[in-house]
Amino acid sequence: MLSFALVNTLAGFLIVTSQSVILAKTSKSAAKFYSLQSLLLVLIFLVLARLQGAHELYLWSATAFVTKVVLLPLVMLKFFGKLVDPNLEAESILPPAASVALSAAVVILCFVVVLGVSLPGSADIKPALAISLAHFFLGLVCIVTQRNILKQVFGYCLMENGSHLTLALLAPNAPELVEVGIATDAIFAVVVMGVLGTQIFRQLNTLDARALTTLKG
Amino acid sequence: MVSSSLPLYALCGPLAASALIFATPARRALLPLYETLHVASIASALAVAFKIAADVVGGETLSAYHDWFMVDALGVIFLGLIGIVGFLTGAYSLSYIRHDLHAGALDVKRAKLYYALFSLFLAMMLLSVMANNIIMMWVAIEATTLGSAFLVGIYGKKSSLEAAWKYVIICTVGVAFGLYGAVLAYANSVAVAGDHHAAILWTTLIEQAPHLDPTIVKLVFVFALIGFGTKVGLFPMHAWLPDAHSEAPSPVSALLSGVLLKCALLAVIRYYAVTVRAVGPDFPQMLLLLLGGLSIAVAAMLFYVQQDLKRKLAYSSVEHVGLMALGLGIGGPLGVGAALLHAINHSFAKALLFCGSGNVLMKYGVRDLGSVKGMLRSAPISGLLIMAGALALAGFPPFNVFVSEFLVFAAGVKGGHIWLMVICALFFTVTVGGLIQIISGSVLGKCPEGLAKGDVGFAALAPMVVLFGLVLAMGVAVPKPVAQLIQNASAIVTGAPSVALTAPWQIEAKAERSSAVAAAAPSQESQQ
Amino acid sequence: MFNLAPDPLSSLALTTVLLPFLGAAIIALSPHAAGKWLCQIFSAATLVVLLDLVFRFAQAGRPSLVFDLLSYGPTQILGLTLDSVSVLVAVAVVGIGLLVAVYSASYLNDGNREHPDSGRKRYYAFLLAFIGAMSGLVFSSTVVGQLVFFEITGACSWALIGYYESPKALRSAAKALIVTHIASLGLYVAAALLFAETGTFALTAIAQLSPGAKTAVLLSILFAAWGKSAQLPMHMWLPDAMEAPTPVSAYLHAASMVKVGVYIFARALMSCGGAPEVVGWVGATMAIVTLIYGFIMYLPQADMKRLLAYSTITQLAYIFLGLSLSVFGSELAFKGAVAHIFNHAFAKTLFFLVAGSLAYTTGTRLLPSLRGILSKSPMLGVAFVVAALAISGVPPFSGFFSKFAIFGGGFATSQTHPLVYVLMGVALLESVGCFAWFLKWIGAVVPGEPSEAVKAAAPLPAGMKVVLVALMVMSVLSSIIAANWLG
Repeated sequence: MLSFALVNTLAGFLIVTSQSVILAKTSKSAAKFYSLQSLLLVLIFLVLARLQGAHELYLWSATAFVTKVVLLPLVMLKFFGKLVDPNLEAESILPPAASVALSAAVVILCFVVVLGVSLPGSADIKPALAISLAHFFLGLVCIVTQRNILKQVFGYCLMENGSHLTLALLAPNAPELVEVGIATDAIFAVVVMGVLGTQIFRQLNTLDARALTTLKG
Repeated sequence: MVSSSLPLYALCGPLAASALIFATPARRALLPLYETLHVASIASALAVAFKIAADVVGGETLSAYHDWFMVDALGVIFLGLIGIVGFLTGAYSLSYIRHDLHAGALDVKRAKLYYALFSLFLAMMLLSVMANNIIMMWVAIEATTLGSAFLVGIYGKKSSLEAAWKYVIICTVGVAFGLYGAVLAYANSVAVAGDHHAAILWTTLIEQAPHLDPTIVKLVFVFALIGFGTKVGLFPMHAWLPDAHSEAPSPVSALLSGVLLKCALLAVIRYYAVTVRAVGPDFPQMLLLLLGGLSIAVAAMLFYVQQDLKRKLAYSSVEHVGLMALGLGIGGPLGVGAALLHAINHSFAKALLFCGSGNVLMKYGVRDLGSVKGMLRSAPISGLLIMAGALALAGFPPFNVFVSEFLVFAAGVKGGHIWLMVICALFFTVTVGGLIQIISGSVLGKCPEGLAKGDVGFAALAPMVVLFGLVLAMGVAVPKPVAQLIQNASAIVTGAPSVALTAPWQIEAKAERSSAVAAAAPSQESQQ
Repeated sequence: MFNLAPDPLSSLALTTVLLPFLGAAIIALSPHAAGKWLCQIFSAATLVVLLDLVFRFAQAGRPSLVFDLLSYGPTQILGLTLDSVSVLVAVAVVGIGLLVAVYSASYLNDGNREHPDSGRKRYYAFLLAFIGAMSGLVFSSTVVGQLVFFEITGACSWALIGYYESPKALRSAAKALIVTHIASLGLYVAAALLFAETGTFALTAIAQLSPGAKTAVLLSILFAAWGKSAQLPMHMWLPDAMEAPTPVSAYLHAASMVKVGVYIFARALMSCGGAPEVVGWVGATMAIVTLIYGFIMYLPQADMKRLLAYSTITQLAYIFLGLSLSVFGSELAFKGAVAHIFNHAFAKTLFFLVAGSLAYTTGTRLLPSLRGILSKSPMLGVAFVVAALAISGVPPFSGFFSKFAIFGGGFATSQTHPLVYVLMGVALLESVGCFAWFLKWIGAVVPGEPSEAVKAAAPLPAGMKVVLVALMVMSVLSSIIAANWLG
């Protein structure tokens, strides 16, 4: 039952969740999708831990559960729940279909790149690895295409999840403290962005990235 | 490596001060307390940085906490910069923040926040340059962004919030590339070294570099260059920099430009050192030459057209980090040494000018060069210091920037890039024109009617005078310990035979020769 | 690392360089009124030190010496070079510096009808720094040393040209700075190439270069020299720089700034142990082109200072011509060119200061409104005539002898290089034309009934008179001094 195929399948679902995060209508639902995605990530960690006998990964999945499945979404809900710009929900510079197509293109590209790289002892997890890389770039796509500045925060979180998965796939025995450091940083980043976003919303009454154009040149 | 607690002590002062200031309530009457804590914090950082530097100049490499902390000759250059520039801009902050409080630009709550974050920011930068753990280094660099974001947006105005937002988003996203690069590097290092704990250290990566997978190392370098290059301010990832530098309070601008960019540069240099050993110098040098050259070209043009003093200075920072990248891209002991020397020199000169822009703001209340006139008559000492700083930044002897610019140029010609160097030098001439415009338009000339005569206070001028002294001293003669550090540091980067492999008399002879290059302070005054 | 040779000659030369900088620093820290006195005191002291150096140097039999000041291993970074050329040029630079300092004290005051001014200490500080930078450049034995002082003179010239702070003056100052800074890239390249090829910055190392590298280094230096000496195609900053206070114009554009260019080229040729002929051809051709251009530009000028600016451009072209011809083996042309650096410095300073005195007393420097100055102020009238004749090379004034040497050397070279005939022919024509043109202005300005402006002229301050007399004397004697000194 437990095999690398399962890892790859779960990783595939990650793409679905991240697409949902990108396309979610409200920040609240995006936060929920993000929580779901983190749960999938934790599951992948657990499977990998079992498969590779990597004890650090059990610890990781625990930390990741606390920080990413519970804490981060709560922080997001707390900050973003109050920030609603009725004129601007899930407005993208791309229509949803194009956004999906772009994501697909990113995934395919990452597969091509990863298959071209020879990684010792990682042949089984190459699909998952490709997806982790794609995930990273999907975050970037989210930041570039979305007009709501809060979506940029989610984009950052997707990128961070992508690198997190890569780390777990390639170096499952990394010291626990490393993982804590990364997770803490992510939380603080979201808090800082949340506070700044709130201040911007109070000052400008909008979350539209197009409103942030005072400084130029 | 010698085990030492000094690296941890360096962090203690600023972290403790930050925590204490956060913990105290925000009251006007408590302002002297914040200031005292702030001074204690910057002074302790400076003192420990000097102590560490003294040890490292003696040829030691300090390490702490399972080797997660490490200060070698390369790191200590940046550590010293944080200590010195952090202290001076910190000292300058005292009168600047008082002025802002007085003028109503800040309330006490924000002033308290300023001091708390300043120390936190300082601590994170110290952490980033002392990190031996590649992931911890990333965490620290990311934390510098988070710590300074509120400093950038501290005035809470529309424009400052916008700048802070762009700063946070662009830098965290950029630095996320750095994380990906670090993860890839670590994964590969584990595969080669086998030891999960040692594999995460720079020291291990450097040792194992020849065995790393070339394709992965190239990927790592590209990711690291994009990621940390964003924070360095290299084109085309520089978009956050002019906004953040212009909207932040002037001492913070000085710190951002003088130190923060250099901390990220250190990360790039560390990856560069690994990459050079793993895949040879051609690949990383090509990328650095490309980004460095483009940064210089674009920044020179944008510098020229700006009307806002601080935006102008910000673009000049992009240009100068471009020159540092160019020096690294030229490579060899000369190129790398020149780049490191330029990092130091640019820090002092730019900190001086950003503090000068702070004086302009205190005196005139605006940054628009069209409205700032006759500085030399309304505030003579500030005017003189700005003039000297601008001439220094333009690369005129006997100031320090000339020395390192010339050395980069010489290294480039020696490395066979003569036309590239000439083109870059022409772009720098455009900057000279812009800086001269600042002097002739704003420092000289008649001052506006109704402007009170009289300079800003002594407390704001004293740190600037010290900075000016450093700019001049480094231009006249690079002190021997600094030259020695740069020499050792460039050996760390380029992987020239390490000092221990040669006999003592050879070390002496070699040190003399290559510090000639690093310390070619060509001015007659040095003979006195 | 640092060698402070116990040799008195090197200490004296070093003092000549550093003393003015010390003076500049002291002026910056002193009260406003002390500036002009300190400037005169320090420039006089510098001249005394230099004359002591000259005396000892002559007693030692005028040897060619190089003192290493700063070097690391085999890399010489800074040093002093003492020989008859550097000492001669230093005398002109420092001596005229003192004269200009004295003149400035009388010029920059409220009695000035053209530009009433109180003489800020910034002016005197930068003037002194300029003198120091010039002697530093003259005595430098390395390309890096030359580059440093080249750039310092650029920065000082910017401050002095823009002294009046009018938008036009500031623009002209920036133009001078930028153009000469671009020119300095030539020195950057030369220094870097020299270092890359030989591992040292010493000028004497040029001789060890392969012919290709030597050509590249010499042409780079020539490029830098064109910029500073306002030769085509980088000449335009000089006429615009006439916005400067006239004593500054006199110092920068007769004695110092523009002489930087010809001097570094001369120094490079002396050190290179035989230059490739292509350098000579490039230098001579551009000199002739500049000569023609400068002469044509004489004709429309009515502003006395602009006329003098173009005259400076052509006179410098003569020096470049002489230096370039020496590449083909003419010792005489080289000596003539160096002597012309010396002679032209005094004659042109005199001419500029005459222009300054006219502007000071009458409030104008437009030639058409000046007439009959001889009857109003015999002193200025005589000085005008002396200056004009010295510049156009009429015996017994100094310009004649050095020009004659350049022509003599040129025609001698033509025996082996027939093309040089053409160049010399053009130069001879220019020489005649220049003489005719200055004769025309002497006739129009000096004799006759005083014009309105001249009639209302104020008396000439004593300080100016002293300086003008000294310069008139030197306009006769300088070529004798130079000829004897160079042998």
